[in-house]
Amino acid sequence: MSRHLSVLSNLIIVLQVFLVVFCFVDVSVLPHSILFIGKLHPVVLHLPITLIILLIPFSLYVQKRNEQVDINALFELTLHYVALIATLTALAGFLLAAGGGYDAEALRFHKWLGVTIAFVSHALIYLRKALASRFMVWNTALACALIVTIAGSHYGGTLTHGEGFFAFNDKKESGVVIPTFTKKTTVFAGAVQPVLMAKCAYCHNDQKMKGGLNMKDIASMIKGGKNGAMWVSGDPEKSMMVQRMLLDLDDKNHMPPKGKTQLSSAEMHLFAEWIRAGANAKTTYHSLAQTDTLRKIITKIIETRPVLKEEKVYAFASASNSKIQELNTPFRRILPVAANSPALVVKFYLKEKYDANMLKEISSIKTQIVEVNLSNMPADDNVISALTSFENIERINLNGTAITGKTLGELNANKHLEQISLAATQVDKSTMEALTKIPSLKKVFLWNSKVTIGDAAELKKKYPAIVWDLGYVPDAAERLKLTPPFPVDVEKIILDKGDNIVLKHPLPGVQIRYTLDGTEPDSVNGKLYTEPLSLSGMVHIIAIATSEGWANSNSSNNTFFEKGLHFDSARLITPPSDRYKAKGARSLNDGKKGFPENLFMNLLGYQDNPFKAGFYFNQGKPISQIILSVMQNSGAFALPPERIIIKGGDSPANAKVIGTLNIGIPKKDPEVNINLPLAVSITKGNYRYIEIEADNITKLPKWHNGKGQKGWVFLDEVFFY
Amino acid sequence: MENQEKQFRLNVTRRHFLTKAGLGFGSAALGSLLFKDQLFGANDASSLPLGLAQYAPKAKRIIYLFQNGAPSQLETFDYKPLLNKMHGEELPASIRMGQRLTGMTANQDKFPLIGSTFGFSQYGQSGAWISSLFPNMASIADDICIVKTMNTEAINHDPALTFFQTGSQQGNRPSMGAWMSYGLGSENANLPAYTVLLSRGRGNGQGVYSKLWSNGFLDSVHQGVVFSSGENPVLYLNNPEGQDKKSRRDMLDELAKFNSEAFENFGDPEINTRIKQYEMSYRMQSAVPELTDLSKESDNTIKMYGPDCLVPGTYAANCLLARKLSESGVRFVQLYHQGWDTHGNLANDMTMQAEDVDRASAALVKDLKQRGLLDETLVIWGGEFGRTNYCQGKIDKDNYGRDHHPKCFSIWMAGGGIKPGTVYGETDEFGYNITRDPVSVHDFHATVLHLMGINHEQLTYKHLGRRYRLTDVAGQVVNGIIA
Repeated sequence: MSRHLSVLSNLIIVLQVFLVVFCFVDVSVLPHSILFIGKLHPVVLHLPITLIILLIPFSLYVQKRNEQVDINALFELTLHYVALIATLTALAGFLLAAGGGYDAEALRFHKWLGVTIAFVSHALIYLRKALASRFMVWNTALACALIVTIAGSHYGGTLTHGEGFFAFNDKKESGVVIPTFTKKTTVFAGAVQPVLMAKCAYCHNDQKMKGGLNMKDIASMIKGGKNGAMWVSGDPEKSMMVQRMLLDLDDKNHMPPKGKTQLSSAEMHLFAEWIRAGANAKTTYHSLAQTDTLRKIITKIIETRPVLKEEKVYAFASASNSKIQELNTPFRRILPVAANSPALVVKFYLKEKYDANMLKEISSIKTQIVEVNLSNMPADDNVISALTSFENIERINLNGTAITGKTLGELNANKHLEQISLAATQVDKSTMEALTKIPSLKKVFLWNSKVTIGDAAELKKKYPAIVWDLGYVPDAAERLKLTPPFPVDVEKIILDKGDNIVLKHPLPGVQIRYTLDGTEPDSVNGKLYTEPLSLSGMVHIIAIATSEGWANSNSSNNTFFEKGLHFDSARLITPPSDRYKAKGARSLNDGKKGFPENLFMNLLGYQDNPFKAGFYFNQGKPISQIILSVMQNSGAFALPPERIIIKGGDSPANAKVIGTLNIGIPKKDPEVNINLPLAVSITKGNYRYIEIEADNITKLPKWHNGKGQKGWVFLDEVFFY
Repeated sequence: MENQEKQFRLNVTRRHFLTKAGLGFGSAALGSLLFKDQLFGANDASSLPLGLAQYAPKAKRIIYLFQNGAPSQLETFDYKPLLNKMHGEELPASIRMGQRLTGMTANQDKFPLIGSTFGFSQYGQSGAWISSLFPNMASIADDICIVKTMNTEAINHDPALTFFQTGSQQGNRPSMGAWMSYGLGSENANLPAYTVLLSRGRGNGQGVYSKLWSNGFLDSVHQGVVFSSGENPVLYLNNPEGQDKKSRRDMLDELAKFNSEAFENFGDPEINTRIKQYEMSYRMQSAVPELTDLSKESDNTIKMYGPDCLVPGTYAANCLLARKLSESGVRFVQLYHQGWDTHGNLANDMTMQAEDVDRASAALVKDLKQRGLLDETLVIWGGEFGRTNYCQGKIDKDNYGRDHHPKCFSIWMAGGGIKPGTVYGETDEFGYNITRDPVSVHDFHATVLHLMGINHEQLTYKHLGRRYRLTDVAGQVVNGIIA
């Protein structure tokens, strides 16, 4: 007994662990064979109900006798309860059947079996006394009772859940399946019937004619049920079907009943309009006018029908998960097509990790592999023989591999191969013939291979069933514009003495031509760039790229500055705006230009007052030119100053004007330039103090959005040469 | 931090309970066979990603060419000759129906209709109308599906972008790419599953922010990784100067030993995630240069994408890189191209923007197609909303502007199970309202997830007491655009 109990309790624990798991995971991913066990639920659910009820008299019995339990008495008590419950069930069954609507055949069997169970269970009480010592006979009787009970329950199940509930391969619950509409598809067969089958026929079928109504075909529907016809042709408002589906959901006459899948408003609309149009079973969808309400409703239903998951079914079984994991590496990824799909896709990564054995190593899952992707791997012609062993392979990607195609013929044995990608390989037309022997082949990709346009046209003509995709072929007449050349380091425009300017272009074979005098270069004018350029002072380079077969590029404009003289100290005489202080006077000589990403970190901005700053040189140095680098962007109100005045001397006290530049106000919107150099020539001399004043525009011109307001001056660097 | 501690403590839940509960061990092992990733495989303890498509996917990868700033539908794919006929006339109130306006045009006393300055022609078997701005995209008319009836809830850039990327306007949710990474995992273990590429056109720009590629409440491994245009596309990936590959390997091995020890002591699964991330970064040191090296691209490729594809940081270069990333198994490559916000100067700005994107966008589709990859790669092209049919500001002879319009706009999709050569949905003659087959952003998300083999209602993550989805509580798969 104790062993019996221990087995039971262990079984309970194991099952309950599953129960916990089931609470947290999506059970629907389980294989069908396991999901089938679920069908036992409606059968076994009766057991806990009965047994829990039985516990009550049992415990009462046990409590009265204070542990002096007579097992035989307990057994007899059980027998009595069984007979009682069986009889009660049978009685209740008669009352339920009186409501009608069940399949007569199944009901007849169920009724008599139910009655038999009641009587047999009663008989068992007396048989037990009579057969007290004859175990064999008693056990046989018990088995008979069990068989009758199972048979009775089976018919009961058929009545409640419909025939075929226990079928192993049951039809998937499909919802409304709207077929494809051909010229011959009638409105009834294509739209009305599918909805009825999915949402009504559950209770109104041959087995279970609720209300005496059967919806298996239009004849039975016209016949109607015990409450009369389903519809009045041409008058949906008077049709019972329409009336009932429009009733309140809680109304007992509402159809489909509460708890069952309800009709959508489009479906209700469909029924009503179909009846209004005469409930004709022969009208076809295509015969309806485009503007017809019924047609519009059906069109809507067609377009919003649920997507059917078209799962490709494979005949082979899954490979074991552990085997797949074992073969999976970061450089050879093996993934199922989808959860629950036995089909596997193998893809290789990282050239440097590839070796030819990696394909042979996976022969243990060769049945399951449907796709291999070796693109850009250094795989050669030998790879094909390894691929032939994958009997179910459908797609092969060999783009960018080293294959030449001479072994492609070996793939003839692969009866499922549909697509092979050979783009950017050395395959040519002669190797293509071999591929045509594969009956299942549909597509071959040959871009950038040795197969020419002429070859492809020939192949297309000879083997029209296969798509020979040559991809993009450049139009020989098309002249695309090159991109402009650019300095090798775009951000480095302040160069140390001895630094060279390096221009580059990403396209091999391109010639760069440039000018330094501000004129536009073209294919003839302008110097050919052959080596890095050295500079002195400020250099403005305009460069273009030219190449055979391409149109000349636009010009690129770049200004470079040689690092100027260092001032020893400086002070801002007028304050910059609070928002654009950068790092004060130091910013003007830190070698940092403002670039779009950090524009305002390096820019000093002035609007309320002009820019004015003094620069000190401990040793007087010869200076003849001063360049201010400013931002020009009219959208941000940033324009060059109206004028620049430069004073020089030994100290602030004796500084005299040594140079001015009158720029004035631009007549039209100037181009954006975050690096506009303004050069001012000054009287050459050794200055220990230089003062620069740059006056921002006091009244913006008419063309500007903010006309009449003050302009800004933004400076990031001052060069002394 | 507090949250992390909590999560750590919570780790002793299902897994530990199952693995340690004596008798439960056997059945848990069986359970792990049956449910695979659901119990042990996935990184997330709190939810149930399959790590695989639920059903055979039509698209395995996505390349999203986001046109940031919202290109006008009326100058691109939604041809409205009536607007040219009624040029300058007032927008009828019966069409506007009291639709809200942005602060930029709300104070205008007139709403003059304005037709496209660019001509339209029909292309492909569907006879899709495409404007003269996009001669190259017109050449792939038979490969794309133009959806003319996208509509969104937001009327300003940031919320609209955020809504498009995360399914919510607020910006605290995971981005589409993060959901894909979470739901489908990575195909390539040497690259992140979700990468982001940025470029800026010459038109009026609007910012993009890292919240757009955020992992939100999902694990941080699902965050989008930005590939920048400079010498180092992935920051901090290269070995420091003076350190070679071997010493880096040795260092990682030693570090992994310490980390494994720490894992033994504390059992925090984040430690194992970190070890894996280090290993992936190490492999990325080889994988990334292999991808970003454009010096070996063939002449045909350069001609197809246009010569600017060799200039890092351009849209064309990003399109080429996107193809290479996608080909290498990156699930979701997100591009953003800024500069479509044409409130004024539309004719000029759109011409420049179109020059940047037309050739490369079409080239990407052609390139995928000629490699036999288009049928498993979904390409999406579009902005965050549309633009008004009336003029913002003054109507000049050749120039005008258009304000934001959320009620209808056009995007296109190609490959990955999309019905090629179709035009979906209809807008009214004014290009203002949708007359047939609207597609909301949630519908769009549901459809994209469906194509990737995921039921959008089932990809959820429990956070702050409720389950979240990309489509939240809405979204219907748009069957009309699925092949």
